[in-house]
Amino acid sequence: MADLVIQNISVYFSGVVALDDVSLTVPSGSIYSLVGANGSGKTTFFNCVNGFVKPRRGNIFFNDSNLLDRSPHEIIHAGISRTFQNLENIPYMTVLENVLLGNHTRISAGGTFQRWVSRKQREKEESDGLKMLSFLGLANYEQKYLTGQPYAIQKLVEIARALVCRPQLIMIDEPAAGMNDQESMEMAKIITEIRDELGITVLLVEHDMNLVMSVSDRICVLDSGRVLAEGTPDEIKTHPEVVKAFIGEGADA
Amino acid sequence: MKGRYEDENLKWIALLILLVLLVPFLLQGMTYSYRYYLYVLNIAGIYMILTVGLDLLSGYTGQVSLGHAGFLAIGAYSSAILVDQAGIPFGLSLILASLITGVFGLMIGFPALRISGMYLGLTTMGFGFIVRRIIIALRDWTEGSAGLAVSKPQLFGFTFNNDLHNYYLIYTFVILAVILARRIVKSKLGRAFQAIRDSGHAAQAAGINLSKYKLISFFISAIFAGLAGALFAHTMRFISTDHFDILLSIYFIIMVLVGGTSSIYGAVLGTLFIVSLDYLIVPQFKDWLSTFMSLEAGDIQSLIFGLIMFLFIIFQPTGLYGMWIKMRIYWKLFPFNPKKRFT
Ligand SMILES: Nc1ncnc2c1ncn2[C@@H]1O[C@H](COP(=O)(O)OP(=O)(O)OP(=O)(O)O)[C@@H](O)[C@H]1O
Ligand SMILES: [Mg+2]
Repeated sequence: MADLVIQNISVYFSGVVALDDVSLTVPSGSIYSLVGANGSGKTTFFNCVNGFVKPRRGNIFFNDSNLLDRSPHEIIHAGISRTFQNLENIPYMTVLENVLLGNHTRISAGGTFQRWVSRKQREKEESDGLKMLSFLGLANYEQKYLTGQPYAIQKLVEIARALVCRPQLIMIDEPAAGMNDQESMEMAKIITEIRDELGITVLLVEHDMNLVMSVSDRICVLDSGRVLAEGTPDEIKTHPEVVKAFIGEGADA
Repeated sequence: MKGRYEDENLKWIALLILLVLLVPFLLQGMTYSYRYYLYVLNIAGIYMILTVGLDLLSGYTGQVSLGHAGFLAIGAYSSAILVDQAGIPFGLSLILASLITGVFGLMIGFPALRISGMYLGLTTMGFGFIVRRIIIALRDWTEGSAGLAVSKPQLFGFTFNNDLHNYYLIYTFVILAVILARRIVKSKLGRAFQAIRDSGHAAQAAGINLSKYKLISFFISAIFAGLAGALFAHTMRFISTDHFDILLSIYFIIMVLVGGTSSIYGAVLGTLFIVSLDYLIVPQFKDWLSTFMSLEAGDIQSLIFGLIMFLFIIFQPTGLYGMWIKMRIYWKLFPFNPKKRFT
């Protein structure tokens, strides 16, 4: 029902084919990974779902509504939020404020005024953010300014910001980039918990294949904007096209 | 959990109110030119209301405005005309003049949806020119370039007769403006403004309609400027287009920069600093400087302000407010290795 259904989308950037007739379905309640070499179109795919990029052709359905009819800021109302490959945080706000930013649509403007006079209202507004911070193990950071925090913390803050509005689906772009093995393993645990404990479908882009293989229910391999293979981790591991591509890459390097 | 609301804890406001109440008496005891000091403080207070609003727009939302003298003028002339020609009471005209100015803010906000940075600066600057032209053209109401005499402020049957009365009137609004602005920046609105400034993508993904919140920011900022303008008109009792020169818009930006952008308190400090410099310090050195530099008085002012802005941007980008925060940390930790934090 709340599957994300992508039908035949194509995106061109002044001659570059970023996505070429891509179709796939992200089943509700799954952890679904998009993998592929640099420039294969993974982030562009997120940008399409998110409304930043309008595909030349195709449709994107979520909960029976066509996301292509929406502006970027309306996508969250459909129940989809995201993080960014390059950190998109607000450096001179605190960690808690950054997280509350993600709850923008659920905090009423009226509540804003009430908040000015009532501490109770203020605490109610902040409680969602605090819950999300402790879920991600960031409880001690709420008061700290974001600027100067380690990369891994900033990544987590972005995830908290995308989760705080309780979306039905979250798109996470390279959460483990630049992380060491131990941090990646923690990230894998967090991703699993997002699905298991919060019940949120996860659409993941990640280069760390160990992480992808360990958490994903299904994987889609993109190659130059085309779907090269799609299936469960085991199917992908043994998929002839993928094996060929990987060996080809290895020979090049 | 405890410290979280520290920033919104309004206990310090009581202290501020006490200070505001006491300053006139302190001045009276300290100096014979007490009246002049009060007059200068009044100008500073009026400008503070404006720069607090300017900080919301340019500091928090990242939308440069070099047209705020234009908003000040609209507030001033609207209120003067509403009270003296339409017979509307001063209290009501404060609100109406602010709202009228807010509507002009919205209008200037529309081009800002398409342009930013230097182009927005130039557009808003053009707006400042146009406002002056229009004021001169609307001779029937504004007396054109001759200037307009304005009635004294009257509230609940009380007439504000002198600079001391005006002082209390103005600083009541300064305190309200600061509280309101702090509350705005710590709310959903303030977070949206900062997200627009720092990451349009994050803002949109969070469900923020960039256009809508940019317009809201222009609207609110212009309301502050309009309120300042209305107070200006009735407490200075004479307004002309010379009071709303294009250079003033630039000084407003300098005030915010020198005070430290995106803090609200910085705008207050910076305004006090620049206005004191302009009215109290620079005049002392004018004669001395002009003997060996052969500069006009106006040039000296521009030279000094330009230099100050330059020095602050290079050496103290967080402004006076940033200095104050560092000092506070320094004294808090004082005997214990303060050097480490004092960077
Ligand atoms: N806004 C844009 N304008 C022009 N070209 C773009 C734009 N965005 C992406 N591209 C191009 O589209 C292709 C796909 O880019 P995309 O960012 O989606 O790749 P990716 O799979 O996310 O790569 P990476 O692993 O490096 O993040 C690349 O060739 C890229 O240069
Ligand atoms: Mg990418």
